[in-house]
Amino acid sequence: MHRGGPAFGSVVADSERKRNGVPERVLLLTPGKEAATEQVERACQGRRRIGVTQSPQGEVPEEDENMAERATRQELKKAYDCVVIGAGNGGLGAAAQLAAKGATVLLLEQHNLPGGFATSFVRGRFEFEASLHEFCDVGPPTAKGSVRQFLEDEIGVHLDWVEIPEAYRLILTDPGEDLDVTMPYGVQEFIGAIEKAAPGSRESVTNYVNLCQEVVEAITYLGQSKGNPDRSVLTKKYANFLKTCPYTVDEVADALKVPERARKILHAQWTYIGPPTSRLNFTIYGAMLYKFLVTSAYIPRQRSHEFALALDARIRELGGDIEYNTRVERILVENGQVVGVVTSKGDQVETGHVISNASPTLVYNNLVSPKTAVPEIALRECHARVNGLSGFVVYLGLDATLEELGLNEYSYFVYANMNTGEMYETFKTLDAPKAQAVLCLNNALPDCSPPGTSIVSITTLYQPEVWKGIGPQEYVRVKNRVATDLIADLEQATGAPIREHIEELEVATPQTYARYTGSYNGIIYGYEPEPWDSLIPRMMSMQDEKHCDGLEFCGGYAFRCHGYSSSFMSGQTAALLTFRDMTEKGEIRQ
Amino acid sequence: MKVNVKGHIRDLLAFKGLVPRRQKRISRAPAEPLGLDPMNELAGQLHPEIQHLVIAGIRDETRTARTFRLAADLDSDTGELAYFRAGQYLSLKVEVDGVRITRPYSISSAPFEALGADGFYEITVRRDGNGFLTPHMWDHWQVGTKVKSSGPCGFFYYEPLRDAGKIAGLAGGSGITPFRSMAREIAHGEMDAELLLIYGSSDEDDIVFYDEFKALERKAPAKIQVVHVLSCAEVSLEGCEQGFITTDTIEKYADVDGSSFFVCGPQAMVRFVARELAAFDLPDRRTRWEVLGEVKDVTSSPGFPQEVADETFRLTVHVGGVTAEVPARAVETVLVAMERANLAPPSQCRSGECGFCRSHLVSGDVYVRPESDGRRAADKQFGYIHPCSSYPITDLEISVPRGV
Repeated sequence: MHRGGPAFGSVVADSERKRNGVPERVLLLTPGKEAATEQVERACQGRRRIGVTQSPQGEVPEEDENMAERATRQELKKAYDCVVIGAGNGGLGAAAQLAAKGATVLLLEQHNLPGGFATSFVRGRFEFEASLHEFCDVGPPTAKGSVRQFLEDEIGVHLDWVEIPEAYRLILTDPGEDLDVTMPYGVQEFIGAIEKAAPGSRESVTNYVNLCQEVVEAITYLGQSKGNPDRSVLTKKYANFLKTCPYTVDEVADALKVPERARKILHAQWTYIGPPTSRLNFTIYGAMLYKFLVTSAYIPRQRSHEFALALDARIRELGGDIEYNTRVERILVENGQVVGVVTSKGDQVETGHVISNASPTLVYNNLVSPKTAVPEIALRECHARVNGLSGFVVYLGLDATLEELGLNEYSYFVYANMNTGEMYETFKTLDAPKAQAVLCLNNALPDCSPPGTSIVSITTLYQPEVWKGIGPQEYVRVKNRVATDLIADLEQATGAPIREHIEELEVATPQTYARYTGSYNGIIYGYEPEPWDSLIPRMMSMQDEKHCDGLEFCGGYAFRCHGYSSSFMSGQTAALLTFRDMTEKGEIRQ
Repeated sequence: MKVNVKGHIRDLLAFKGLVPRRQKRISRAPAEPLGLDPMNELAGQLHPEIQHLVIAGIRDETRTARTFRLAADLDSDTGELAYFRAGQYLSLKVEVDGVRITRPYSISSAPFEALGADGFYEITVRRDGNGFLTPHMWDHWQVGTKVKSSGPCGFFYYEPLRDAGKIAGLAGGSGITPFRSMAREIAHGEMDAELLLIYGSSDEDDIVFYDEFKALERKAPAKIQVVHVLSCAEVSLEGCEQGFITTDTIEKYADVDGSSFFVCGPQAMVRFVARELAAFDLPDRRTRWEVLGEVKDVTSSPGFPQEVADETFRLTVHVGGVTAEVPARAVETVLVAMERANLAPPSQCRSGECGFCRSHLVSGDVYVRPESDGRRAADKQFGYIHPCSSYPITDLEISVPRGV
């Protein structure tokens, strides 16, 4: 039925639809055809954009050009207003925001699908989440958190969000520890539950949570002031925020005289950020805790992959291009200014702006070209900052329901104790760490696996250097030993008979995260937010620490620190900064 | 509420000092380039994107089965071969008559044999007459021929955390290859499991690795046992079963409740064994499946729209910066249509499982075999397909990532 088409083996380029090398989808799918046409015209003007009016390989097509040869080369369009490196949460947010502003964007991702760590994979009858996941700061439609606002109001992405049933259950397992509490959302409910588990703590915990509230309000104010806060407002209204900025979680809890037992419950989420509470900055922890209490946590019904795909689709609708299986190998810099990128597929893309979802560590050490374009201070920054942790996850597809297993909560923290420094030390040896976070997905999404089955994942953390000595031959043995111990710890803490119900099992290690994302050493968290390198000092240093004109960062390494929501929202910030730069340089016609 | 951590003034000074302290810390840090990245290095060793191999030996096993030994190509940057788990496969990337395709082959040698500077993989291939690559291998591959391959992939391996301590392998034809890998690994003491292999062949001359498995049984009598099942009318070979791998044969030899069943072979054999195994009503966690070869006749799959069986549709492919239009037959996968047009799309498992070929279906409809639909839930929702397990049933427009 092929209407007189070519014989097998030949290829025709559709010159009608691909005239001038401008893909059809750019013309059809941008918001309104006029805007699209203007965009294309704009893209065709100016020094850096000459390639766009030509064929994909930058030459006027010859009549006798070998079409098969052309299909083989498959090179990309030559120029964009901005190239975004990496389709993790940050890169997706950045690309969507810039495209929504009308800039021409190319999003490049080395893996074959978007999401970064926030993705999923299929084994047998089960679809597993690659990393521990839930979004903070979404909130209900009636009281939108910043994530929902950004998605729905700024870039027009509407997802089917499902609220997580409760905050967490904390079980301490060391002999002598007697803590097993399930914590609700809501400020008063949360404080009440702590009081119940740790009588006499209400006043100090209330002060602690109030302080967290002030921190969130202050950060919101800083965001609204667009980098120019009124000093007197800060010192009058947000004095406690300013005064606690330089301190750790422990120092602030000490000052507020929070009793030991209450503190254990309050700080259970420390593993979401990583450093022990003796080094973890209070500002970042307090803000996270308060946002969880007030806006609770959500996941998309089809899970993190739905989030990534909805953004992918929206970016394309807004006229952006995305290329997977395409790794950026060099960011070209001339006279301190970004001028383009070179990819693993040999594409040379001209652009004056790069937003990197890859870490500064990778960008300054491996990507910026020539090396002489990297000032010494940028390398010093990379060394001064403390690399975050990598993950280790046991994914379990079980042939029993959570009810049958007696796992009634969505999220468990199973720790030997709440001496976070001692727990952190267990991330530095190859034994099974003594702190694990467990997700029982069906308790949030009952239909996420077939009837009679369930999905449970056990996540712990590692300093990736610990895995350095492990060669390919020992690798499976070591990861299985750790997985076995983690499963046994969970069985002991909850009484759930897990081993006998394993239908599918997969184990991810720091190597796995390195493999799929290319992150330095497989690190899943950004730099550790110690007081000197937390949200506020990062914000205050952004201008001083900008080393290439046209280069911005987003994702877990950016100023908002790590976490699904922070990484995503940092993409918006990077896009807005880039857009402002484009406007100031006259590259964008308003 | 007024919070003092170390005193009002000290706290404010500490805030003022945040950035200066940061700058001081940074200025004192070394300006050396980044050190090693051991996790990415390990990832590269375990999962290389490409392995450059060269044929180091060829051995005929039977009249129709031939083993190719593959070693690292010393003229390339492939130093040592990637280690693997017995039961995994390689996706070979080859060019036949100017057309670039991939084909998955189970590794028939053992993981320990891949280690070191002299390491090798073996693949064992049966010439069944109508394949695309196999005749080419027979006619053109010789010692010294260079072949590109993926890293080892696939999930058809023994997993001690999940599986019973006894493996009951049910194999047909070239489905013996992953079990040869397991048996060699077990006999060499590298893998702690028992293997019972029930192996179906058409006749004596058709049995691949007969002598070798006899030797492996002798080497590890407590761990390895092989039962041959021959479908020919007369069986003279001692200790062989006549017929097919039936419920009775399985029950006769296997510890049904204490084993994990691993089934590997051509489609017809796997389908037959699935029916026989069903009699035991095993939980899903006790069975693992590996089907070899492309689907022979998709029109017999449940739900295939018969009315389009003879049609050839127009497939519009966006890949990288180009668009191509190619014909696509309803009875061949979208992947094959793209390969015929030499678009070199990414692919690996060719059975819907690995997601390597994942592509966006811009418009049109495809038929996906239910048993090889390995897509994520959100992928289905957002119109993504795995071209290797999708058949065109209308004209299609798809957007494909560029191949590796």
